[in-house]
Amino acid sequence: MSSLSYLLPWEFSPLLLLSVLITGALYTRGVLLTGSELKTVKFYWQSLSFYLGLLSIYLVSHTYLDYLSQYMFWVHRFQHLVLHHLGPLLLVLGGIELVRKGVPGWMPAWSSLPTVIRLPCELLYRLIQHPVVAPVLFVGLIYLWLLPGIHFAAMLSKQLYLIMNWSMLIDGFLFWWLVLGPEWRGEAKGFKTRIAMMLVVVVPQQLLGAYLTLTSSVIYDVYDVCGRAWPISPMADQIYGGIITWIPASMMSVLGLVLVLRRRLNYLKRKEYENN
Amino acid sequence: MALYLSACSQNEATRLTNIKGLIPNLAFELTDENNKAVSAKDYLGYTVAVFFGFTSCPEICPTTMHQLAGILGKIGEPASSVKVLFISVDPKRDSADKLKKYTQTFGPAFIGLRGEDEVIKAMTKRYRVTFGYGDSDKEGNYDVSHSGAVFVFDKTGEARLLVTQSSAAEDILYDLKNLIDSSN
Repeated sequence: MSSLSYLLPWEFSPLLLLSVLITGALYTRGVLLTGSELKTVKFYWQSLSFYLGLLSIYLVSHTYLDYLSQYMFWVHRFQHLVLHHLGPLLLVLGGIELVRKGVPGWMPAWSSLPTVIRLPCELLYRLIQHPVVAPVLFVGLIYLWLLPGIHFAAMLSKQLYLIMNWSMLIDGFLFWWLVLGPEWRGEAKGFKTRIAMMLVVVVPQQLLGAYLTLTSSVIYDVYDVCGRAWPISPMADQIYGGIITWIPASMMSVLGLVLVLRRRLNYLKRKEYENN
Repeated sequence: MALYLSACSQNEATRLTNIKGLIPNLAFELTDENNKAVSAKDYLGYTVAVFFGFTSCPEICPTTMHQLAGILGKIGEPASSVKVLFISVDPKRDSADKLKKYTQTFGPAFIGLRGEDEVIKAMTKRYRVTFGYGDSDKEGNYDVSHSGAVFVFDKTGEARLLVTQSSAAEDILYDLKNLIDSSN
């Protein structure tokens, strides 16, 4: 296998390719339309974060890594770490709202769409983004797709596999958007809710990771049924997967907590400076 | 509606995982253990069990093949309409001769198939399974990771049952017997 072929998609997905290309193009247009007076060092760091996030999502979904994710439990856990945690967080920190600026003028604005379409979407969005619902969904989805029966079906059926990965990506994005999106600049209102949301998601992820790592029997037999990408003992595969679920995933949530605190502190400092 | 219900009750009747509609129909073009080119069409009219293995396999392959041979023995005469296709995921080491000697130990229903690496890769992808090789030791031996599943197809080539390493022998016997009976 040549090194270039590792970059080819294992299963070609026009939907993923288009989503990545359109998001990337709109964001880039937004960057180009931004006046040079706004292009501070922070702006460039943000852009870097955005492109890294988009690239990481593409790499785990549309290259050889996607193949490995289907036939190795620990690579699958890594794929979900990127789809649910790292990728979406980088997009949100990268100021994905610039995409809005990049949308060409001829596209109809959301507010001009008929209420029949708008209202159900907005209600659903508000429900998903409720501070109680969002963390439950965030952790619930991780648990759901790791229920042995469901995990088995998702790894065996191509359709279910795609639904699983898209649901993780969309949910991950919505969650990080809620916590660290541009809606909240560090005001007192919303601060405690964000801290609480981050704390609430850490513990269940650690429990799950610890369970996967420390269980002495093989939980997911689908990798024995379908074969692994290379010879590795099922227990080692499960332990690596458990550690990825346990440590980096919960560390990402702790990082989220730090970022919430930092935004609050920066806000307070700014206010203090303005008052003086 | 009646048809739908009967289809439903039929689904519930299997003890093994029912893969009807989940896994694509049987299709392949390979070479058999007599070096003859064969395709899935040649096995229409047979209940076909497909297993991806290799002859140097120390444990899973011989265990699974012995188990299947035992079950076919228990089914008796009706089992003459069953073919077990042992598809090598290690064609480099598994020559046609080697495959033939290997399958002979399990009985006439067992047929070894092989193909180019790319062909086998494409076929395993079709059934959402895979295989991979470990590093060679000093003697050139290497380990192979592969699927432990047996895919069972009915006489029309439609995927029906999934036998895994954890399937109980009596469940395999029960479902396989039903499948042979129902398609007669």
